[in-house]
Amino acid sequence: MKPIMLQGHERSITQIKFNREGDLLFSASKDPKPNVWYSINGERLGTYDGHSGAVWSIDVKWDSTLFVTGSADQTMRIWDVETGSSLSNLEMKTSVRGVSFSYSGTMIAYTTDKMMGHNSELDIIDVREPNDIDATPIMKTQVTPNYAKALSVLWGPLDEYVVTGHEDGCIIKWDMRTGKKMEVGQEHTKLIKDMQLSHDGMMLITASKDTTARLWDLATLEPLKMYKTDRPVNSASISPLVDTYPHVVMGGGQEAMDVTTTSSRIGKFDARFFHLVFEEEFARVKGHFGPINSISFHPNGRGYASGGEDGYVRVHVFDDAYYQFKFDF
Amino acid sequence: PPPREVCTEMVKKNKIKSLDNDDDGGAEEEEPDFSDPEDFVEDITEEELLGDLLRQKPKETDGVESVIIVDGVPSVGAERLEKLKNVVRKIFKEFGTIINEFYPTNEDGKTKGYIFLEFKDRAAADEAVRQRNNYKLDKQHTFLCNLFTDFDKYEDIPEEFVAPVPQPYKDMGNMSYYLLDENCFDQFSIIYDGGTTTAIYLNAVPEAIEVAKRERWTETYVRWSPRGTYLATFHGKGIALWGGEEFRQVQKFSHPGVQFIDFSPCEKYIVTFSPHVDQRSEEPQSIIVWDVRSGLKKRAFNAERPPVWPVFKWSNDDKYFARIGEDVLSVYETPSFGLLDKKSIKVLGIKDFSWSPTDNILAYWIAEDKDVPAKVSLVSIPSREETRTKNLFNVADCKMHWQKCGDYLCVKVARYAKAKREKNEIKYSGIYYNFEIFHMREKGIPVDSLEIKENIQAFAWEPVNNKFGIISGEPPTVNVTFFQVNKGQAPSELKKLEKRPCNNLFWSPQGQFVVLAGLRNMSGALEFIDTKDFQVMMSTEHFMATDIEWDPTGRYVASCVSWWGHKVDNAYWLWSFQGKILKRQTVDKFCQLLWRPRPPSLLTAQDIKDIKKNMKKYTASFEVQDKMRYSKASREIIEKRQKQMLTFTEYRQKMIEKFEDDKEQRLCLRGGQDTDTLTSNENDFEEETVEFLVKKETVIVDE
Repeated sequence: MKPIMLQGHERSITQIKFNREGDLLFSASKDPKPNVWYSINGERLGTYDGHSGAVWSIDVKWDSTLFVTGSADQTMRIWDVETGSSLSNLEMKTSVRGVSFSYSGTMIAYTTDKMMGHNSELDIIDVREPNDIDATPIMKTQVTPNYAKALSVLWGPLDEYVVTGHEDGCIIKWDMRTGKKMEVGQEHTKLIKDMQLSHDGMMLITASKDTTARLWDLATLEPLKMYKTDRPVNSASISPLVDTYPHVVMGGGQEAMDVTTTSSRIGKFDARFFHLVFEEEFARVKGHFGPINSISFHPNGRGYASGGEDGYVRVHVFDDAYYQFKFDF
Repeated sequence: PPPREVCTEMVKKNKIKSLDNDDDGGAEEEEPDFSDPEDFVEDITEEELLGDLLRQKPKETDGVESVIIVDGVPSVGAERLEKLKNVVRKIFKEFGTIINEFYPTNEDGKTKGYIFLEFKDRAAADEAVRQRNNYKLDKQHTFLCNLFTDFDKYEDIPEEFVAPVPQPYKDMGNMSYYLLDENCFDQFSIIYDGGTTTAIYLNAVPEAIEVAKRERWTETYVRWSPRGTYLATFHGKGIALWGGEEFRQVQKFSHPGVQFIDFSPCEKYIVTFSPHVDQRSEEPQSIIVWDVRSGLKKRAFNAERPPVWPVFKWSNDDKYFARIGEDVLSVYETPSFGLLDKKSIKVLGIKDFSWSPTDNILAYWIAEDKDVPAKVSLVSIPSREETRTKNLFNVADCKMHWQKCGDYLCVKVARYAKAKREKNEIKYSGIYYNFEIFHMREKGIPVDSLEIKENIQAFAWEPVNNKFGIISGEPPTVNVTFFQVNKGQAPSELKKLEKRPCNNLFWSPQGQFVVLAGLRNMSGALEFIDTKDFQVMMSTEHFMATDIEWDPTGRYVASCVSWWGHKVDNAYWLWSFQGKILKRQTVDKFCQLLWRPRPPSLLTAQDIKDIKKNMKKYTASFEVQDKMRYSKASREIIEKRQKQMLTFTEYRQKMIEKFEDDKEQRLCLRGGQDTDTLTSNENDFEEETVEFLVKKETVIVDE
């Protein structure tokens, strides 16, 4: 089916995220205004105005009431999803790289940049009172200089631990209460661009600049699978229908500065579908004319959305051929 | 011992340095004690410390080395000695200052007939000996010149000849094992990781099999010997050859700074070239010819500037090798490595030459000189007999192309309409082209001419048979034309393909099939053509391809995007000769793919004819074999997948159970709401109205 093109951003997309039900799609870009859209028809519901720099990371609470954004303007904001009003504005010492709501939605974990003498940090704050947040973290961990800078962050399934993806390619699991390192996954050789969980929170997929995506068991950080391409992978997502359609979708592409001859006809900005178990590629979807920066299955597993360096968000719904395709085994 | 001053100087320097590095301002600090403790033993050799100075140290032989002895000098009395000295000085003065001369005399005061001359350095003495040995002074007197140091050398030669001890035979295994592959799969080498890794693969069906892989096997690139026996690797110190089943080192040639090599066609010899060695040294070092099997240096040459590689060209049977100099063609013979008939062939104005790939015939061309026209000549070696010449007019340049079977020679002649002399350069304008085709196998070697008005981009003979293809015109309107050479009549045009996106054409080693390629800046367009009927079998693309390599059997073609030419998408793709894609292999920083050559076939023409006649029979059996291989491979894949699926299903089962076990906790965390599936909290759903654009209509409303 013809994809819906969402045009609302002035600069390249940094992250897109569906809410839990999948009726809303949030998008952030290097311009300071995150957007929210109806995923079904592409109608824009509104923008979240207030930041003064690129928005690196976004997350939405499970009940779609709160929306959190981390920005290069060295603030993290919490918004009312429905009204678009900024509930709190937390000032940091450096840019905010990754933000994540816990399963219960009572806490937010975030990572900050290492810059101007400040270390990269992993902090957790209590957001039970979104209008009156105590900016003092309930848990605070220095990531640098002991580990490489942390970029993305997400919560484990029961509010017990968080996982961070780092600049040197490692992923680290931290105990939420003590801030102590629990597990390290050291498989990627270049920086982690994105991390996403399976719908049940049991598996983790990481996307790396080393041209691969990897699947991990979240509880143990045991590597399970590896999906190899020939381009930096910026984002990867596991199908919510993983037990019927064990698929992952990946997006990426060479950064413009690394390409001498730009030609979209070599089709390297495709969304690429891999069999989750066999690690084999079975489909590609063209469309973007720059690298894909963020990609996500719709929570119902019947489509996906991608946001690109070209500034567009594309929302796709699978046609029958997708469900009919089966590997022989 | 090293000069004392130098040591103290060095110590001082070190001290200053250490003070500079000290941020805390240690200028007031007491000077440290640099003297060695009493029991100190120097563990750095002086060679290491002061190698450059030690080399300048005077040697005992220094004086002696520049002394020469001249015998055969007239014997004269004291009254004529001064006159003789003057004559001798005149003869030797051009080699350098004579700083000492000695004329030994008899009891009766007459000179003994031999004299000693001391030059200012060794080089002058060497040159004097080289140039004045056998110098005829007059009818009775011939100078015999020798280095003084040579006397020692010749004295040390034992009276009795002792035969060299034969080297023990080293069994290298079967060096031709790769030809015994039961499926006749070919091997190829690849270099990747930006040059750090080299690997050899067997191009098996359906998947290539790794034969060998080594890190840092070569420092730059690799070359196969022309018959495929050896793989040559390049190192700072020289060349190494590898071969046999395990690719063990079979030979090495020490030649520091070597950058280019060239094998003789039968692999007996290898020529190595190190462009940056000191050309002034007395012993030539820049080009060395080696015996491949023994590893012995056969002869060394200086490179005459500016060298164009290969400097030496070999005859097909390894018997002769030749190079051109100013107005000469020097042909050397093996195994003596001396000049053929002890002298070069004098050819005024020789520009370039080339050997027939099958016969000991040389072709060369000489440029125009005022009223003398340019000329192409064929010369038989070793007889030096000129078998054919052809005069040419208005020639700007010539390129010689031999057909691989030696049946034809095509000389591509760039001719001009006008020539203008500006300063020392000649500017040509109105360039057009002539092909002069020599029919080598016909009586009297008839020559056909073919004129092409367009600029020629590429020319290639079909390796067998009598066709050739050219690419002509200016991009983007480039035409490809195929011609056939006929006996007794002019070449006929077979087919003209107009406006093709290509800049190179590659014939199959077996002929008939050709790949047209638009390499590098033409972004990798590929066309596979059967020249039997000029059908374009496949028109395709390997984006940004830099190289095309046919396998030696003409069954496969590799297209490459080399990291040396293009920094992304480095890969090699394998195609069938018909242009069917077989494999797209992306390799990180892939640099080079080379097929391992095969020696010429031992089959007779009749054998080949018989095989072609029975092709249907063979095809059937090969197809069955291929089918079996593919089904075996797909069976293996299916088995692998089944195993993977089983493991994964077990894992998922455990995860699903754990997920169920955690349900209580999840409910607790989300205030009792079940959010496990999309519809598990349906009751809490709110309804919303969403608008869709169904269609657009324009209605004009009356006012």
